Amino acid sequence: MFRNMFRTIRPTFSNVLLRWKSSGTEKKVTMYDPFVTKPKKNKETYLEVIKMFEGNDIRRRGHVEFIYAALARMKEFGVQKDLEVYKALVDVLPKGKFIPTNIFQAEFMHYPKQQQCAVDLLEQMEDNGVMPDYEMEQMLLNIFGRRGIPLRKFWRMMYWMPKFKNLSPWYLPDQLPNDTLELAKLAIQRITSVDPDTQISVWQTEEIEASLDKTWIVSAQSRIQQVLLAEQPPDDPLIVKGPYIVYLKDQVVSYFLLVGKIRPEHNDDKDLDDVSNIEKPPGIPGFIGNTKLPAIKCTVHEQDDGTIVSVCATGTSSRDSLLSWIRLLEKYGNPVLSDIPVIFTLTAPPTDIAMQETQPAVTETDDEQIKRK
Amino acid sequence: MNLARKICTLPFQNVNKNLYRKLRISASHYESSTYSQPQVQEEKFDFEDLKIIERTERRKAQIPPFMKNVFVSVFDRDLLAYPEILNKEESEALDQRIAALDRVFFDPEKTKDDRKAVLKGTKMYAAPVNLTNGGLAMNHTESLRFLDTISSDLQLGQELSDHWVSLNALKLGLPEDSYQKIIDDLTSGEKTIALCIKERVAERVLQADFRTVAEMDGRNVWRISGEKVCTQVSGYFLVLCTTHDTGHLKMFLVHPGAEGISHDDTYVSFQKTPGIPLDIVTEENLAKTLGVSRLHTAALCRASLLQAMQAVADYIRPRIFAGKPLSEISSIRSVIGEALINIYASESAEYFTAGLLDGYMEPDAELEMAMCRNFIAQNGLDTLLKLIAIPNVEMKAESNQLLDNMRSLTLRGETIDSVNMYIALNGIHHAGTRMAEEIKQIRNPLFNPSYILKKILADRHQEKDQPKLTLYLAEHLHPSLRVPSEQLEYCVLRMKFACETLMARHGMEISKAYTELNRLAEAATEILVMTAVLARASRAYCIGLRNAEVEMKLAACFVEKSKERVRKLILEIDDGEYLNLDHFKVQFGRKVLDTKSILVEKPTARVFW
Repeated sequence: MFRNMFRTIRPTFSNVLLRWKSSGTEKKVTMYDPFVTKPKKNKETYLEVIKMFEGNDIRRRGHVEFIYAALARMKEFGVQKDLEVYKALVDVLPKGKFIPTNIFQAEFMHYPKQQQCAVDLLEQMEDNGVMPDYEMEQMLLNIFGRRGIPLRKFWRMMYWMPKFKNLSPWYLPDQLPNDTLELAKLAIQRITSVDPDTQISVWQTEEIEASLDKTWIVSAQSRIQQVLLAEQPPDDPLIVKGPYIVYLKDQVVSYFLLVGKIRPEHNDDKDLDDVSNIEKPPGIPGFIGNTKLPAIKCTVHEQDDGTIVSVCATGTSSRDSLLSWIRLLEKYGNPVLSDIPVIFTLTAPPTDIAMQETQPAVTETDDEQIKRK
Repeated sequence: MNLARKICTLPFQNVNKNLYRKLRISASHYESSTYSQPQVQEEKFDFEDLKIIERTERRKAQIPPFMKNVFVSVFDRDLLAYPEILNKEESEALDQRIAALDRVFFDPEKTKDDRKAVLKGTKMYAAPVNLTNGGLAMNHTESLRFLDTISSDLQLGQELSDHWVSLNALKLGLPEDSYQKIIDDLTSGEKTIALCIKERVAERVLQADFRTVAEMDGRNVWRISGEKVCTQVSGYFLVLCTTHDTGHLKMFLVHPGAEGISHDDTYVSFQKTPGIPLDIVTEENLAKTLGVSRLHTAALCRASLLQAMQAVADYIRPRIFAGKPLSEISSIRSVIGEALINIYASESAEYFTAGLLDGYMEPDAELEMAMCRNFIAQNGLDTLLKLIAIPNVEMKAESNQLLDNMRSLTLRGETIDSVNMYIALNGIHHAGTRMAEEIKQIRNPLFNPSYILKKILADRHQEKDQPKLTLYLAEHLHPSLRVPSEQLEYCVLRMKFACETLMARHGMEISKAYTELNRLAEAATEILVMTAVLARASRAYCIGLRNAEVEMKLAACFVEKSKERVRKLILEIDDGEYLNLDHFKVQFGRKVLDTKSILVEKPTARVFW
């Protein structure tokens, strides 16, 4: 209820501001923005600005405006996921002053603008997935008291955020690596987690002399996939499909599949209700299982649209790098690839192969062209 | 959906305790003695040499399979008379041989060579062979008695068991002339025969589970290629192979020192090794013959447990705790007592099964043999752990040896689970043939409403876990065993219900419900052992054996405990995978295997500070 009430109040303040702005007076105040002037934009300088603001004026006039401005600049400084920074911002608010002292104050929004500011700050934390801690609670308590709206926001956050934090079955570190190779490894790990036996290997295309793109390849294949590949009919071509994308938090990695033919579906039309002849084992001690091979679809890699025999992500996602991938697969344990034709059906080639041909071999750092959003 | 189960049953609680049951007149169901089968005399003569007469076999006419029928709650009450196979002369001859063996095997000063010598002297290496071929024509009951003694040297026991089983298989499988050619060499005792059946688990997805192949080469010689689990390094091998194309199984005899044999620690591999095929035996008969090794395993396991019990008893006797002999501590006594119960139960079941094999024409007792093996393998290991906990660390080397022996015996040739699966699938197969029509109706309730209504009424006692005891087993046992016999009766009557539940729930997919089949197999195993124990105790008491009253108490104790186990197992089957927690355990296991982690965080881990 309070929140709704609060929301209705908020535009009123902005209206007032607008009216003040458009009142047509000649004198206009130019805001001095300390964040713009900082040459280096990182956590230290950000905290420095906050310290400066705190030291400037003992009354800390304009602290709400300052906090809003600071919140807006967070991405620029790359600190939007840092709890310490949020705490420093909350610390800007004066302690004790905003705590209601009677029931009327408590009921009718004591210092609404300040409370809204703190709520917005918490909201931004939530949007960025930053989990507050008990020290933050203590700070908010000291500023707004037990009945403050920010506290309620805080408690709600502390109820839900821990529940959502580890809900994904694929664990990722809090801080994703900056290196695209590491990201690609994480992505491929996630995709291939269906088969715990999968081996992930990182190869350099330099190993293949004919390669034009000099980059890395993260390739994954399990032993079962190796066998499935070895058993592919030699006349039917394999297909390289992709690029598909996978999200790791806010990062995107594109990957490719090597797809083969599927074995026939297990077709069982026996009557499940007729138990008159249940299969029984032969009974020779020590003899279990079958003497015949399973000739039907039975692994997780055999999907409806094909048998996935390997997965990869490359540094450039170019056709040439994928060609190198096939050659490397052939080199490392899949000799059958030298006989089977491979078709590339890339829906939209991310980089033009003709361009690559005219350019000299690129260095490792330039290779970080995995699609990012 | 099993609709008959879903609809609430009517609580006629007092109707089923009818007057007739209370005033049960013990002879009212007694079907006089006419039902006892006439004995079939079978005498074999070797007409080429009339001086040697083959051993006479006194077998009764064929009976329907005992334990398979228990799966549909049909109980052959005649079998409550414990089998007596040996007559006076045979028994005396047996005792003499045993005494000769005992003198060497229980003398700690004798060496392995001495023991081998006495085995040769008592014709043990030729025991299952006909008298005409210089053997003893030993039957299964005798083989168990011999093994009881011989198994004090476990390695010899295992070797001999394999040897005996193989000899029987050869007798069935080889044509008469080639059998006669090699039999003398086989029975001399210089070279024993080892069974090579088990293989490594497949490591590739497109690999068959069973891979040893025999192929005919250009000169009509079978060549074997493959790898087998086998610890014996010299002597003959009896190798199970699949022949190409058909996938049929065939046994091959491989001579010692044949080309292409190489040994690893636990594996023997064959490379184009020539072998003699056992052509004239069917797969089914082969399974029956080889199945006897399960019975031998049971005997070896039991002997191993007995050894452990004696070793621990020797340890306890001279020791003192708090001024009193250690043997006065009741917890120690109860562990020893439990070991005795298990040994007694297992021994009863083994000889009971041997009696089934020896006493009837064309016996179908593979299931019983498998049950004997599993009963003692499972209980023996549990009891052994308790036993060797008594001396703590003081008998470290001996305890390790005992444990290792027992472990290798429980894994001899196969695992407990695979044997359980064999038991359950055979039982359920048998039940399926009998109950197919019924199950079809239960699984299609809306097509058979009247049947379902009848079923609701008919199953009301079973639903309440109080089946009507209609088998009257007490009439075939000593009167003082009436309570235990009723407990056995309860267990038997619950079996059909359990099978019905399982088949109604899974239909043909029952062969994949491994956890539930395991329970069914364990319950059936307990029933066989209960039957054997009751029959043995009753016999002992009736004929006045020494310490028969102890046997009665042992039997009563065992049955009391066993009945609870069966009750629990069958209730768990009835409950289904959610109530008996199978579903969840399976899920946890799957996740651990899939994620390669233990799933749970450490208790000190935090999400926020």
